[in-house]
Amino acid sequence: MPTFNSPELLPGTLYLLVLRTLARGPLHGYAIARRIKEHSAEALQIEDGSLYPALNRMLVKGWLAAEWGISENNRKARFYRLTPLGRKQLEAEAKEFDKLIQAIQLVMKTV
Amino acid sequence: MNRLKEFARRLLYLGRRKNLDSVLDQEVQFHIETRADELQQAGLARGQAMAQARREFGRQSAMREDSRVAWQIKWLEDLSSDLRYAFRALRRSPGFALAAIFSLALGIGANTTIFSLTMEFLFSVPSARQPERLASIQLAGNSHSQMPIYRFVRDTHSFDGLAGSFEEHQVNWRHGEDTSQLGVYWVTDNYFDVVGVPVAMGRPIHAGDRNVAVLNYNFWQSQLAGDPDVVGRTMILDGQPHTVIGVLPRDHRTLLGFGFAPALYLPVHDDKAYVAFVARLPEGMNRPAAFARLKVIGQELDRNFPNRDFHWTEDIRVDAVAGLDRLKSLNMIPFTAFFGVLMVVVGLVLMIACGNVASLLLARASSRRQELGIRLAIGAGRGRLVRQLLAESLLLAVLGTASGLLLDFWLTSLISRVQLPLPMPFQLHIAPDWRLLAYSAAVAMASALFCGLFPALKATRSDLNAALKRQELQSSRRLWNMRNALVAGQLAISTLLLTAGLLFLENLSRSTSMNPGFDVDHTVWARMRLVPAKYPTNEKTQALVNTALDALRALPGVEAASIAHVVPLNDQQTNGTDVRIDGGQAVHVQFKSNNVGPDYFRAMAIPILDGRGFNAGDRTGSPAVAILNENFARLLFNKDSPVGHTLKFPWTETVSIVGVAKNSKYFTLGEENALAMYWPFAQGPGTESLNFMLRAPEFSPDLVKAINRTLGGLDPSAAIEIKPMRDALVLALLPSRAGAAILGSMGGLGLLLASIGLYGVLAFTISRRIREIGLRMALGASPRTVLWMVFRDSFLLVTVGISLGLGIAMAATQPLAMFLVPGLSPTDPLTFLVVIALLGAVAVAATIGPALRALHVDPMIALRYE
Repeated sequence: MPTFNSPELLPGTLYLLVLRTLARGPLHGYAIARRIKEHSAEALQIEDGSLYPALNRMLVKGWLAAEWGISENNRKARFYRLTPLGRKQLEAEAKEFDKLIQAIQLVMKTV
Repeated sequence: MNRLKEFARRLLYLGRRKNLDSVLDQEVQFHIETRADELQQAGLARGQAMAQARREFGRQSAMREDSRVAWQIKWLEDLSSDLRYAFRALRRSPGFALAAIFSLALGIGANTTIFSLTMEFLFSVPSARQPERLASIQLAGNSHSQMPIYRFVRDTHSFDGLAGSFEEHQVNWRHGEDTSQLGVYWVTDNYFDVVGVPVAMGRPIHAGDRNVAVLNYNFWQSQLAGDPDVVGRTMILDGQPHTVIGVLPRDHRTLLGFGFAPALYLPVHDDKAYVAFVARLPEGMNRPAAFARLKVIGQELDRNFPNRDFHWTEDIRVDAVAGLDRLKSLNMIPFTAFFGVLMVVVGLVLMIACGNVASLLLARASSRRQELGIRLAIGAGRGRLVRQLLAESLLLAVLGTASGLLLDFWLTSLISRVQLPLPMPFQLHIAPDWRLLAYSAAVAMASALFCGLFPALKATRSDLNAALKRQELQSSRRLWNMRNALVAGQLAISTLLLTAGLLFLENLSRSTSMNPGFDVDHTVWARMRLVPAKYPTNEKTQALVNTALDALRALPGVEAASIAHVVPLNDQQTNGTDVRIDGGQAVHVQFKSNNVGPDYFRAMAIPILDGRGFNAGDRTGSPAVAILNENFARLLFNKDSPVGHTLKFPWTETVSIVGVAKNSKYFTLGEENALAMYWPFAQGPGTESLNFMLRAPEFSPDLVKAINRTLGGLDPSAAIEIKPMRDALVLALLPSRAGAAILGSMGGLGLLLASIGLYGVLAFTISRRIREIGLRMALGASPRTVLWMVFRDSFLLVTVGISLGLGIAMAATQPLAMFLVPGLSPTDPLTFLVVIALLGAVAVAATIGPALRALHVDPMIALRYE
């Protein structure tokens, strides 16, 4: 299963992060990793070694589709985009995630 | 649904595995270069930037493996690698593989063939649109009702159509100078539309059609040479021109089923005809609802067609036209039981075949102990090894099943082409279908598990140290290991099969040589079918019969000639009725009856024991007379002579008994103590089918020609068929012949397979004991001692196997008695003796090879192992 640098991610959140990042449009693997790093203010850093297996697993599940294109630095790159199934998955996982966070916060505040 | 798509994506990947690697390469390359670009902009030199980017990316091998795993279908790839391994292993020992596949092919071939045959006979689906909505209907317990009744029920419009058919109609077909008799399915003109029978060429019969014919495919091919322009052609049937309007498909199956296949379908217009009803139930109407509807119709019938013998509302039946429901409703228990016995028998043959494969696998596993031991030692999981060994037996089973299916296709096409010499038109269409495939796949799986699981478990259980040390000297002393138990089991089963096979062979020989009570060797049966329209009255028929008998008696070589309504062992007429003796109390009796002409008993060589036979004086108008058989006479009059006494049946005047005939067989060879009664032909009802029985010492082509000329000269429109009575016994002998052929060959097959198994085990045991034998010989054992050693093993196995088998056979063959001729007991000691002798001989033959090998063991070579 994917391993993460500090801080530790909850299991399965890598999928959610990738799906969310791709919601705004197709990106290649490197850009996905960089986006996640930037948007988390460098708090979340995905190990490159676990990103690509995760992308492949999501391709198998049919959440993503991949095609070859030209990157901003003029190189041949593989772009990933959300499929309708992936979009549904994103909604479902985001909802689940919100629920989980709220529940944890509730516990943190009351106990 | 998503899972399925996921699986499809993975399958697609299987073909493009190489592709994924290059995709990953390019992606990683791009990732590292892009990172290096960034680092370069931050001020690093290109070389340094690339090195740092690579370092940051980390180890690539784990990432690649993880990505690959994402796409893999683990079990499928494991399976395929197991199968590849198994294939290589089998290729390395072709003798073993061929023996196993051969055994399985025979077992599975026999199984699938009998399965196909059973399915076709018992569960074939008639050629009809939505046959599950069709129902066969009986009113007042009558299988057939007359046309006016049919029209009345049809015109109530209770169903989505009601059709009628009479399946045993016959017509005379005049072609060129010849007239032959054809079997006809006589159907109401709406039959094709209601039942939805497809035609291959032309059109079906529609309402209002008269004098048209639809041809059976085989009749079209064999009698009309497959004439492509047959539609529109005219056929003269019973003197009337009929137009051929259509041809049925090759695989047409009649509603009656059981392979029944008349040459023609003709529309019925005769109001006197009786038809069986078939209804198309409206959507949503089930059979109980149809039954309720028919009850109401029955009440209307009782008002419109009152019958003094029965009410139309009695005994109404609504039955399915196919499947299990139909078999139940037809009460075909013995017939179904016969196929049940067959399925059990071929199942046993398959068990013997599996036993062979299992013992071969066991032998292989133990010679591979070292290899397996090493693999276990270096850390292979036991589950993985078991799976691999199972893959080997699965591969064997699949190959065996495939060969078995080929054998099945060949056998069934052979059976389909067989023309059984039956008095009714008959054709089987055995074609492979999904049921056969499902069945053989199930058989293959079951046999793979059965053959493979024990050997695999046993092989991997072995003690590591012992395996690696290659020590197996001790194991040979333990005689009752799995292999030996298997062989003894095989021998037991083949004892059972052989017993059954021999019983049926004995049954065949007894029924062939059985005296049916009349002379079959010097009797000739000449059948003459008249065109009914030409003989409107019984007098006209009787006049023809008298002329014909006089002419036949005058032929050279004919000693006596007579006529009969019923030809014994080919047809029957049974009465169940009350009878009054000499005007006394009514007694209920059930007996066979026949109307026969003067001289019948002389022509058939049936002795008259008391009184007289019929003569020319017993004719229409003269006093009614009858002759009883011994059984009937004894039942009604004990030891007194019945001659001179009278009988009175509900439908007759008082009948005088004039004679007693010796008992004989009437419908089956197996019947016992049948009661029978003969009436004079001239006092009986009219018929269009005349069966002349001639006594002729010699059956020659000249005689056939002479009879043909004589009868044909009297009426050229009549169909004439002449055969010796011996040939006419085919129907009576068919069950014994089929039983003997099938069970005899299964017994032989079982014996062959079991002897292969015995040979294999003995040969293997010897090869394991070479060192021991060598040692004994070096220490001075004589060849006799060595031979005794081998034969003792074989003898023990065979004795245990046979006694076990005989024990089972004693009990298991008891139910077979219902298929055997009277007097033949299933526990006939002679049969058992023959089985023991046969198996013993085969066992000795199977032992000779291994024994010779033991004798030729060279002590020097054998001991060099030590």
